Amino acid sequence: MIEFSHVFKRYEGGNEALSDINFQVASGEMAFLTGHSGAGKSTILKLIALMERPTRGQITVNGRLLARLRPRRLPFFRREIGIVFQDNKLLNDRTVFDNVALPLVVAGVSGDDMRKRVQAALDKVGLLARERSFPPTLSGGEQQRVGIARAIAHRPALLIADEPTGNLDAAMSDEIIDLFSDFNVHGVTVLIATHDLRHIERLKKRVITLGRGHLVQGA
Amino acid sequence: MKIYLMRHLQVLVATLGDFARHPSATLLTVAMIGVTLALPAGLYAGLLNVERFTRDWHGQMSLAVYLKKAAPGNQATAVIQRLPGVRRARYISPEAGLQELAREPGMGHAIRVLHANPLPGVVLVTPRAIQPAALQDLVAQLKARPDVAHVQSNIAWLERLNAALALGRRLVLVLSALLSFALILILSNTTRAAVASRSTEIEVIRLVGGTPAFIRRPFLYAGAITGVFGALCALLLLEIALFALNGPLHRLDALYASTYSLTGLTWRQAWLLLALGGGLGWLGARLAVGWHIRKDGLS
Repeated sequence: MIEFSHVFKRYEGGNEALSDINFQVASGEMAFLTGHSGAGKSTILKLIALMERPTRGQITVNGRLLARLRPRRLPFFRREIGIVFQDNKLLNDRTVFDNVALPLVVAGVSGDDMRKRVQAALDKVGLLARERSFPPTLSGGEQQRVGIARAIAHRPALLIADEPTGNLDAAMSDEIIDLFSDFNVHGVTVLIATHDLRHIERLKKRVITLGRGHLVQGA
Repeated sequence: MKIYLMRHLQVLVATLGDFARHPSATLLTVAMIGVTLALPAGLYAGLLNVERFTRDWHGQMSLAVYLKKAAPGNQATAVIQRLPGVRRARYISPEAGLQELAREPGMGHAIRVLHANPLPGVVLVTPRAIQPAALQDLVAQLKARPDVAHVQSNIAWLERLNAALALGRRLVLVLSALLSFALILILSNTTRAAVASRSTEIEVIRLVGGTPAFIRRPFLYAGAITGVFGALCALLLLEIALFALNGPLHRLDALYASTYSLTGLTWRQAWLLLALGGGLGWLGARLAVGWHIRKDGLS
């Protein structure tokens, strides 16, 4: 599902974020990406979602060689993945329902089909009752769950998450991670960037560890 | 195709909803565009009125053809009447001319001093066409006749008037171009502000796979709709101005015993103004969106 081959990323000013990264995540697998802050976890996720391009090396996601992807096809590629952010990036002036519907609206799904899929996603994260609420009225954990519902509403094959539990207490964090684990059981490939080692020990999933832009363990 | 239209309709409704939620900022922009468009539209309407007025006046235009002394007046008039450029020809004999002149105050005595009638026969010609070129042809044709001594016309005056009208038309054109540019700038500035205030939304839409066209669409609709509303505002301002001017004009008319009244734009021209407002609004928004929505994060 994801393959990094000799990937380097150097930012302007000579700061090398990643150097010679090689790893694979198989289809249907769930893995944690870990390391200290600044180790390059976010950079790897950004490269996967094509929010940035590598300086060197090849990345393949869902069978696509990203270097060959034309800019015009980029939006359609993004519809194959779901992204969860630490700060959840919800639109505060739209209802929970509208936030979750966004990837479907963008893809041209409408009417009953859209409503059913949004409600299914909200049901899965346990927030169906809050579909008319606005995000600022929800708790941090609920907001993060709305973000997850949005990431899965269009049923992506790959789900990536950048510190999805960063702002949450332990109980809520466990809930969120269990949610990801549940999606994985249903066949979604999941890659979670986190520095919270507790989840890693609890779930016994594969761990890819980064240190200062190098792969330390888990290739 | 149906889905495509549905999505456009959704954006249209959403944009109108947005306007309804934030009326003050929108109204300000609309008023600004209204004033900007009202100026050239008003000038154009004024020009149309002047043209209409001069057309009415042209209808009364005539040429005075002075015959040579010996020429037989009625015969010459009959021939002139048959020329293709002539609508009507009326003969005024030297005697009738003298009588008419004698009626002018102070002229009676002067005429009595004269021993013989000094006036030539005159044919008053009402031309068919009022274009200077056609008139000039007719004048040349009349002058070439052996029995004609002199042709008096106000072609020079007419040409000056037409030149002034042409200048007016050009002025409207230049002003329209300038103010259209101003309108594009107003809308691109409004759009820039809208893009800035919705940067999070744009980013999120991008990350969930929205195409650039999808991201642009609401801004383009907002631009076009604001432009159309601005044009509506301009039409309203124009009507108010005409209403205000027609009152004093009618009083003036009454004094001159004429019945002239100013008219606004025709329906067709009004629709054209609305389309122009919408088109320029769209263009302004499109430029701003092109400038301010950065290329997707592949830098």
